[in-house]
Amino acid sequence: MAELNQTNLETILEAKGIYKSFSGVPVLQDVHFEVAKGEVHALMGENGAGKSTLIKIITGVYSKDQGQIYWEGKPVEINNYQDCQKLGVACIYQELSVIPPLTVAQNVFLGREPRNGKLIDFRKMNRMTQELIDKYEFPLKPTTIVDNLGIGQRQLIEILKGLSQDSKLLIMDEPTASLSGKEAEMLFKIIQTLRNQGVSIIYISHRLEEVYMLSDRLTILRDGKNAALLQKHEIIPAKVIETMIGKVVDESSGSRKMLQSREGEVRLDVKGLTDKSDRYRNISFQVHRGEILGLGGLIGAGRTEVVRAIYGVDKAQSGEVWLDGVKLNPSPRNSINAGIGFVPEDRRNQGFIPLLSTTRNVALTNYDIVKKNGSAVSDKDELEMSKRAIQAIDIRPSDPNKEVGVMSGGNQQKVVLGKWLMRDLKLLIVDEPTAGIDVGAKDEIYSILEDLASKGVAIIVVTSDLQELLRVSHRILVMRKGNIVKEFKNVEVTQSKVLAAGQGVEEVEEAG
Amino acid sequence: MKGFNISKYSKPFILVAFVLILTALRPTTFPTVGNIANVLWSVSVIGIMVCGTIFVFLVGGIDLSIATLCGFSAVVVVEVIHFFGDTTLGVLAGVIAAICVGAMAGCVHGFIITTFNIPAFLVTFASQSVFLGLSMVITNNKIVSCTAPAAFTAIGAMKVFGFPLPIYFMLVIAIASWYVLRKTEFGRYIYAVGGNATASEISGINVKKSTILCYVFSGITTAIGGIVLASMTQQAAAATGSGYTNDVITAGVIGGVSLLGGVGTVPGAIFGAVLMGLLNNGLNLMSVPSTHAGLVKGLVIIIAVGFDAMQHRDQSRKRAGFRLFKKKAA
Repeated sequence: MAELNQTNLETILEAKGIYKSFSGVPVLQDVHFEVAKGEVHALMGENGAGKSTLIKIITGVYSKDQGQIYWEGKPVEINNYQDCQKLGVACIYQELSVIPPLTVAQNVFLGREPRNGKLIDFRKMNRMTQELIDKYEFPLKPTTIVDNLGIGQRQLIEILKGLSQDSKLLIMDEPTASLSGKEAEMLFKIIQTLRNQGVSIIYISHRLEEVYMLSDRLTILRDGKNAALLQKHEIIPAKVIETMIGKVVDESSGSRKMLQSREGEVRLDVKGLTDKSDRYRNISFQVHRGEILGLGGLIGAGRTEVVRAIYGVDKAQSGEVWLDGVKLNPSPRNSINAGIGFVPEDRRNQGFIPLLSTTRNVALTNYDIVKKNGSAVSDKDELEMSKRAIQAIDIRPSDPNKEVGVMSGGNQQKVVLGKWLMRDLKLLIVDEPTAGIDVGAKDEIYSILEDLASKGVAIIVVTSDLQELLRVSHRILVMRKGNIVKEFKNVEVTQSKVLAAGQGVEEVEEAG
Repeated sequence: MKGFNISKYSKPFILVAFVLILTALRPTTFPTVGNIANVLWSVSVIGIMVCGTIFVFLVGGIDLSIATLCGFSAVVVVEVIHFFGDTTLGVLAGVIAAICVGAMAGCVHGFIITTFNIPAFLVTFASQSVFLGLSMVITNNKIVSCTAPAAFTAIGAMKVFGFPLPIYFMLVIAIASWYVLRKTEFGRYIYAVGGNATASEISGINVKKSTILCYVFSGITTAIGGIVLASMTQQAAAATGSGYTNDVITAGVIGGVSLLGGVGTVPGAIFGAVLMGLLNNGLNLMSVPSTHAGLVKGLVIIIAVGFDAMQHRDQSRKRAGFRLFKKKAA
């Protein structure tokens, strides 16, 4: 792609001196961000760097505390999403809002159908859609029923919708997160055509290679401040990673750790696990007694799929799982009986039963050890178990009959964890254990994990939070595109190194 | 378990209020053993069936084939008795055959719903037609009467300690259902599956097997309902039990069973059935013409459900947004 002519940059959107804080905690401080006409401007930063907040201010979802936004050089006030649509900004959401039974054209013009008197003029609508499709070379037909299209093409419809409203700036937030490789290729091609036709794009992604390939400029945020504004030729992967993490941060305690592995007896032995739909392949690793193994990598690298296959929620196509020298036939029931516990990533949808009480949730996997009177479960023993769990890990509210659905995220997670603590565990798998949980509860969950490990339980922690990964792990494996690409063992590891491995960047210079 | 809580007693309170009102209005005809036995006798078929369908409701399903499966079971029992020449052995065979038919129907429902992931609504909507058709084919769309042997007519009419047998059947089945749901491991799994099937699966519960078992049990109680109904009326036809799908679902909903799954109890469902029976009886005793009865019934049901909802206002208020059906912790 030809580099933009720097002297000819016509700024379409500029945000100057943006400040924003939530309940006293500053999230954005003096942030400057600009997009030129016909530019793909990437926005990167670690979780919590302020990317989403900045975008929400631009699209009018949040109000800013200080600062000014300019559109084509003129100061503008954006108070809601309608305001920003009127200017010509369209946000392509991750949750697609297309309606499957309708055609492509009907979706593009939903609510704004061209009319012929009172009736919808379908021919005009199809013609207008075809014109847009031709102009930007979309691989779509106006009359196709959306139900027959894949997720990648549905996303293109969202983009068409934006373009049909004469949008000059498109915002794409992790657009490739749920796309296959082929679908992503299709999207990249469209992005380049749009750019050549003078449409500006803000491209938010964790994937460095995409940013490297697509973007003209890159703004990096770190801790709510501008960390760098890089021109295309300055986008060097190692440098980007270093900038995202920050040298200073990398030297702080939470970002650097001397790993010390526990070489006890092998508890879990995974041999050549391979997925039916190729989301991971030939995965082999071991976890030892009392060891906390961190599984790092980008979202979509296949980590969740691997641990789900080990526990048996999904079946692997081939490969073996051995626990304490015994080969398992993975299924949730078999795994539980063998001494494996599993805390899934999506707490609300997979972790607990919201309408049921703490007691019923804690006991759910444990009726094999709750006392029985004949066929009747002993209510007393069930309650005792729940009280033990509440006491052991301080679940609040401490009422064992409280329904879990109304509790805070941290306490819900403790309930999910609590049921495993009541068993004789050999292996515990936790996937994103602290997502959406406040700092205090995070620390409590870490100490629960550390406590379990000290009792000889092997633990696998899947996490996208680099700080968390370093905080809890004795050893770290990094996955990328379905393969284990790196092991950090008995070495000093930094957030940059883990991130670089997950991004597929070869070498990162030692910080400092 | 929760300590004293007025809302927990709202159902018995409504029931007592109903009884008192009817006693005050019809002091001579309502509060007699004969009339109470009559009320319970009239609700027993609904009561028996709701004890099984509550399992289906709890796993988040629905059964629209209750009425025609009830009719089909009635036809099966009567035809088998005739086949055996109206003997006592024939009654035994007929009852076993009808119960097997119910269990099979439930098993097929459950299998199709869980294996092909088709909504229960559609599967049972289709099968209701199948059962109706089968009844029509077997009976040649005529009413088949069955007034002998005594072992058969006794099922629906024989009195023990002043109360007809079906009331005892209802009690026994209700206690059994209550025991399974409230006391056993399986019962706890049913509430979990209805509350969150994915989380239940991950917790090692065989969601498919549990769901199929719920439909099987629902089929069995529906068949028992059909047998009792055939004996009470001493006949069977394709139309036997028509309207019962509505009545059973209404009894459940009045009793606090959520059609979204995961919420409801057997005593609640029985309460719903009895309340409907009292209502019918009251309207009857007060000579409300049948043209007006439906209107009055509907209004009273709304008031009863509304009263129950008000009792739980505190709990519902905590949850944001509007819910079609109320959900409470089990």
